[in-house]
Amino acid sequence: MLKYVFRRILQMIPVFLGVTLILFALRIPGLLPGDPVQLIVGERELTPALRAQIEEEHHLNESVPVQYGYYISGILQGDLGRSLQKNRTVTDILLDKFPNTARLAVSAILVEIIIGLLAGIISAVKQYSFWDVVVTLSTSILVSVPVFWLGMLLQMFFGIKIKQWTGGAFSLPMSGMGSPPDLVHLILPSITLASVSTAYVARIMRSQMLEAMGQDYIRTAMAKGLSERVVVFKHALKNALIPVVTFIGIDLGALMGGAILTESVFSWPGVGREIYLAVMQRDWPVVMGGVVVVVLIVMFVNLLVDISYAVLDPRIRYGGTTE
Amino acid sequence: MGSLLEVTDLKTHFHTRDGVVKAVDGVSFSLAEGQTLAIVGESGSGKSVTALSLMRLIADPPGKIAGGRILFRDENVLEMSDEQIRSLRGDRIAMIFQDPMTSLNPVFRVGYQIAEALRLHKGMDRKAANARAVEMLELVGIPNAPSRARDYPHQFSGGMRQRGMIAMALACDPDILIADEPTTALDVTIQAQILELMIEMQQRTGAAIIMITHDLGVVADMANDVMVMYAGRQVEYGTTDDVYYRPLHPYTWGLLDSLPRHDISEKGDLCPINGQPPSLIDIPSGCAFHPRCPYAKDVCRTDVPELREIEPGHSSACHFSGEPEFTRDVMPCSADMEVE
Ligand SMILES: Nc1ncnc2c1ncn2[C@@H]1O[C@H](COP(=O)(O)OP(=O)(O)OP(=O)(O)O)[C@@H](O)[C@H]1O
Ligand SMILES: [Mg+2]
Repeated sequence: MLKYVFRRILQMIPVFLGVTLILFALRIPGLLPGDPVQLIVGERELTPALRAQIEEEHHLNESVPVQYGYYISGILQGDLGRSLQKNRTVTDILLDKFPNTARLAVSAILVEIIIGLLAGIISAVKQYSFWDVVVTLSTSILVSVPVFWLGMLLQMFFGIKIKQWTGGAFSLPMSGMGSPPDLVHLILPSITLASVSTAYVARIMRSQMLEAMGQDYIRTAMAKGLSERVVVFKHALKNALIPVVTFIGIDLGALMGGAILTESVFSWPGVGREIYLAVMQRDWPVVMGGVVVVVLIVMFVNLLVDISYAVLDPRIRYGGTTE
Repeated sequence: MGSLLEVTDLKTHFHTRDGVVKAVDGVSFSLAEGQTLAIVGESGSGKSVTALSLMRLIADPPGKIAGGRILFRDENVLEMSDEQIRSLRGDRIAMIFQDPMTSLNPVFRVGYQIAEALRLHKGMDRKAANARAVEMLELVGIPNAPSRARDYPHQFSGGMRQRGMIAMALACDPDILIADEPTTALDVTIQAQILELMIEMQQRTGAAIIMITHDLGVVADMANDVMVMYAGRQVEYGTTDDVYYRPLHPYTWGLLDSLPRHDISEKGDLCPINGQPPSLIDIPSGCAFHPRCPYAKDVCRTDVPELREIEPGHSSACHFSGEPEFTRDVMPCSADMEVE
């Protein structure tokens, strides 16, 4: 098991190098349109003196591999450069915003896991029932609705309409985080962020559960005299969970992408909104630093997912040891 | 002495979109303590459905036990509550299946899966059940059982998995072991080992066995009685000697002739049965076997033959069984004949 974890960590290195290489390529002259110095300068006036100073500061006069070396060693030391707009380091800005994104992401994942799994299990166990139809229909709708549009609908309904109908007695906060951070402000954004993933989780859970329940080993378990409840929730569920956990893991990347949209729609002061604002203001160091951080997070979470996958599935844990 | 299991006129039907599949349609047999009954027949003749019906493991819908009586120790299984039938399953009546590769749950340890039944039925704690599971694995000839019990099914070979299944089925010392083609998925040398193991385990535990197979060779070595099924019905039923040496039904003749065993087939030549088993939704009129039977007469196309006792303890469902000149020697090879 330890060997497996170690192997997985080693596998992360080339992925990380690949991603940073792509980001780094943004700065290589000639590879992408635009002058890197101009990118760094942004809207300031570019004088030859300033150009020389910037080339010196950013090692742009060095050869490309050396530049990459500087870039990587900077990242490894936690140095992501300075913001062009704010007088702060990128690391500082992101560290500031990160806890908010983590709060939103964790609650969205909780929604995804709890609601998605429950809905999937119920609709599989009660196949063709009323609840199965409800789940099947609502998940089909949810997977095809854009995240930002759903967010806006929720804002309009829970933030405005309900307030009007109840004469101001009830409504949900539709933007910001509240201070100190409170749970009420989390409700709409986390539902929005979780919506598509929850729908997918429910559908995958349902189909996996149905498939597991048709397997021979289920008949064996029934023939043993186990109750239907034990057969479904132990023998079938543990098998059905394996692909669902994989999906949740793969999906975390998409969740981070969704966070940028959700945080923007709900003015949620997180890394995603910071990246969005930085894109708007052409604050490239913040954009690049933000992306690097997001990539690192996704990679780390995928590692955790793979480990839990191995815990669930003995065939992976013992991959080819006997037989 | 009343028999252990007494099945009368069992009917199991499946309600599908295309119509009612009469997978089992009026089957009767009995099984005494410690005896072995073989159920033989081609694919689709209803052997597995019969076996699953005995434990009420037919999924409903689409399946339904439409009639009959299954007496286990004089209690009707079909009238038991869910709880009662569950306490029989795995404890008094156990079952092993055709494909040991898929019949064990891949995410639980083999020992754990064996111990599960013991904890459920015998009220053992985890430790006692695990110890007993290891004992069972030893008994079925798994070397190094204590560590093998902690393996997962994918770490076992096919033969070992079937041994594991047998260990699981026999863990609670059942009265009846139902084996649904336990060797079909295994290669030939392993097949013999598994059958030997079953015979040995039967001698040790005294369990009665219902052996489902389409290999008549297996039957001869093991069974006391044989039931031959065709299209959901029983066509011949008797002791193994009766069915082997004095078979009455043309279908049984065909089965025996398709066996590559010259000591049994007097004609010596391999002679497979012509044609395919019928669809169970659209069973041929009269005798279901008549389209493939070289002897078919008009009456076979119109009248369903009843299962009749031709000699004591030996019955056949053929209009002509019992007529002195209607014997296996006069039967032409059905493969040479035209199928209608
Ligand atoms: N769930 C089901 N729904 C509809 N029909 C079924 C179902 N299960 C079995 N049947 C039908 O019942 C008939 C008998 O099947 P069964 O599995 O008992 O055959 P078998 O004699 O065991 O054959 P084999 O040697 O291939 O195992 C088949 O024609 C099959 O199509
Ligand atoms: Mg079968």
